[in-house]
Order: sequence, then C-alpha cells, then structure tokens
Amino acid sequence: MAQVIIYGIISGAFYGLAAIGLSLVFGVMRHLNIAHGSLIMIGGFAAYWFFHLLKIDPFVSIPFVMVILFIFGALLYKGLFSHLDKLPEGQKIDNSMLVGFGLIWIIDNLATLLWTSDVRAVTPSYTGKVWQVVPGLRISFVGLIIIGIALLVIFSLHLLLTRTYFGKAVRATAQDRDAGNLMGINVARTYLIFFALSAALAGVAGVLAAVNYSVHPMVGFEWLLKATIILVLAGVGKIGPVFAAGVLLGIAEGISVYFVGATYREVVGLVIFILVLLRRSMR
Amino acid sequence: MLEIHEIDVYRRDIQILRSVSLAAREGKITALLGSNGAGKTTLLMAISGLLKPRTGSIWLNGISIDRQPVHKIVEMGISMVPEGRRLFPEMSVFENLELGAFTRKARDTKDQMMEEVFEIFPILKTRSTQIAGTLSGGEQQMLAIARGLMSRPRLLLIDELSWGLAPLMIQRISEAINQINTTMGLTIFIVEQNVSMTLEMADYGYILENGRIVGEGEARQLLESDEVKDAYLSIGDV
Repeated sequence: MAQVIIYGIISGAFYGLAAIGLSLVFGVMRHLNIAHGSLIMIGGFAAYWFFHLLKIDPFVSIPFVMVILFIFGALLYKGLFSHLDKLPEGQKIDNSMLVGFGLIWIIDNLATLLWTSDVRAVTPSYTGKVWQVVPGLRISFVGLIIIGIALLVIFSLHLLLTRTYFGKAVRATAQDRDAGNLMGINVARTYLIFFALSAALAGVAGVLAAVNYSVHPMVGFEWLLKATIILVLAGVGKIGPVFAAGVLLGIAEGISVYFVGATYREVVGLVIFILVLLRRSMR
Repeated sequence: MLEIHEIDVYRRDIQILRSVSLAAREGKITALLGSNGAGKTTLLMAISGLLKPRTGSIWLNGISIDRQPVHKIVEMGISMVPEGRRLFPEMSVFENLELGAFTRKARDTKDQMMEEVFEIFPILKTRSTQIAGTLSGGEQQMLAIARGLMSRPRLLLIDELSWGLAPLMIQRISEAINQINTTMGLTIFIVEQNVSMTLEMADYGYILENGRIVGEGEARQLLESDEVKDAYLSIGDV
C-alpha cells in the first residue's frame, strides 16, 4: 500500500507539471488553451530526438526543450491567441478553445506525418534503477527526479510570481487588466511572455513524460484529459492546489489499480471529475 | 500642460464625445463636471489611452499622446485614479503601492515616494500588510490616490473622487488632494458629479453635457453662475 502511494506521488507530481501551464494561463489570461497537451507531446518528442540524435541526457535537455517551446508558445500567442484578448471574458474562453481545438488537429497530425505514429520512449542507462528505502518499499530513480523537478518548479514559480516585477505584473493584470495597464504595465508583452512560459512548462512535462511513460503523436490528448481533471479539482491559477490535486489524482489512480485492476485506472480520474462537477453545480 | 483639441471619442459605434476641447494648466486643479452619462469617464479614458479618439488630438507639454499605448502614456507622466478605485483587491496595500511605481523610472524612487504618500495618508502605513480588498471605502480611495502618486506623475487624473464615500471622508480626501497639489506642485484633473465640493477645491472648471463642453470658467465664477446653480445646485445642496 505504501508502495502504491509512492507511485501515486510520482505520477501526481508529473500530472501537476502537466496541468500547471494550462491552469496559470487560464487563471491569468482567461485563455483555455486545450492544445496544451499537444505542446507536452512536442516536448516529449524534442527530448526523444535530443536523446537519440545528439545523445543528450533527457534531464540535461530540459533547458533546451524549454527554450524551443518558449519560442513556439510565443509564436502561437502572437499569431493566434493574442487576437482574442480584446473579447469579453466568456467569448474569450470559448474562442480560445476553438483555436486550441484547431491547433490540436494541426499539431498532432503534423507530428504523425513527421515522426510516424510509433510509440517512443527515452531510455537512458538509469531507466528502471530503483532505490530501496526500506525493505519492500522502492522508489525509482526517475521518479525521484520527477518529484525534485516538480518541487523546483513550484518553488521557482512561487518566487517568480511573488518576488519579481514581472510576477507582480502578471498577478495584477489577472485581477484587473485595465488597472494594471494604467500602472504602466505593458499588458500585451506580459501576456506574451507568460503564455510562452506556460508552453515551456509543457515542455518540461513532455520531457518527463517521455522518460517515465512514452510519447506518440496522439498522446497530447491523454495529458490534456489529466490536466483538465486537475483544473477542475484544484480551481484556477493557483500553484500549490494544482500539485496537491495532481498527487491526489495519482494516489487515487494507484489505489484503484491496487484494488480494482489497471484496466480501470483512467476511469477513476473521470469519475472524480464528474463528482466534482456535480458538487460544484449543486451549489 | 494638457491640451485636448476637438476630440471625437466612440465606444463601439456610439459617439460619446463630440469635438471636446479643453486644457489643464500646470500646477492647477482643473475640474470636469457633468451628470451621469455625460461622457466624463470616457474623456479620462481617452487621455490615459484606454480609448483612442477618432479625430482630434491630445497633447502633454507639446507632445502628442493620442496614439501612444497606455503604458507609454504612464511613463510620460500621466497617472489615473480610476472610477471605482480599481485596486488589486487580493494584494496587500504595500503591493498595490509597489505596482503604482511599476515604470522603470519610478522604481528607483519607490521607497522615497512611499514615505511621501505615507506622510499624506498615515493610515496606509499602519495598514501596509493588509489585503486591499478588506480596507474600508475611504481607505481604499486613499490607497487608490496614493497608488496613482507612486509613479511620480506630472498630471494626476482622478475619476469620481467622492464615489461611495461618507461626507466626512470626502472632506478629508479633498483636503489631501489640495495638499498634494500645493506641496508637490502636481497638476490635477478631476472629474466629478459632486459639483459644489469640486468647485470649492478646483481652480478652473469645465461643464460637460451629452458629450459636449457647454461651459467653462474660473471655479469661483462657475460656483456663482446662474447656469451652474440652475443645473446642478438648485435641487438642494448636492
């Protein structure tokens, strides 16, 4: 049972990383970028090619993958999402979903054309290495790194948002866009960087997905599903709750595997999703 | 200082301002009066850049600002205290003030400026770690004004100073405005429905009706004029 919980925490840390970019962009900018999963997929493929062609260790490649997705995210925002910024909130959410849906279509199919639909994984030499905490309780080396990276991301995002001028600008415009603008904040530029940053975080999640799970062109949708469940569980735009919800989902899945069997793992998350939605709508 | 030359401003496709011209003189308090829906807030939004005039021009010290983005206009020295305060409600008093000093130039003098606004509004100092949304209405208005001062503006725009405040609080805050005007030498442009209070505080006034300027003059003369008395002061003391 303790073993189940450890696995839950590892997948939960990953789920949190997969969801954080989606949640922050939705919370601050009111864009529901459902192509976030496809950005994670690109991150996974980037790590795969760095590993296979250039022999770069996946965890070493994280900064490079982040830069690639940062630029890609900036282009997506500049070219597509920024045009929705003038819309009222409801329309903005709807339209950003439509744009995201089109993007999923294009990105996923382009990835299939470029890289075929083969399932790939990054397998460095330490894959499968485990660390025996106490007899009967093991934790994988990769899992430890994932937890470490998740903690690092939480910590640095927190510092970024509370200690820097950029972070304060982000929080201020999230609360009142025009008032932020009147303080001298360049809202368009702040949004551009923030969106690109969320894409870079999707890249981090992608690298970890390629090491811990596997990656193929249609995998984005699966991660989007997890991220959406977490978005519903945790609420929007807060860092801590996103990771807490991720870990909760991971443990719930682990326990269900333990008691019911691996076939129903995906069902658990969706049941939680529906229960939370039902409770919210009843209020 | 500020010169507005025959601007037409639209919201969506509805024309709000019709050929409005006015000026705010250096170091003075200029008031724009008018009833609800006259277009006062629209005019302030045009000055601060949130709305762009379709025709006409706006000048700050001889430089055209009507095509500049909002954050550039702030850097050029115009600061706005918006209607309804528009504080960042989930942030502390301190953070709200910090954001007021967001422009690169203002960051260097942030600490010094903070001392100055605490001198004008000492209550803000004792409340500095409190979340802005939990302040009382009067304290929120003080914070909004203080935040507007943090960027060291040359021109301060104030929209509906008296909005939602008790008479005693209005009195205290308008005294603070006069203090800011005299000690800092700051040019102030104020928009208000509360005519008598504003004209007592201001040097010069304009009257806006249905998007047009229908009258102007020295504040004292306006206060005495029959036009203003009939239109704004006759229904008891506003």
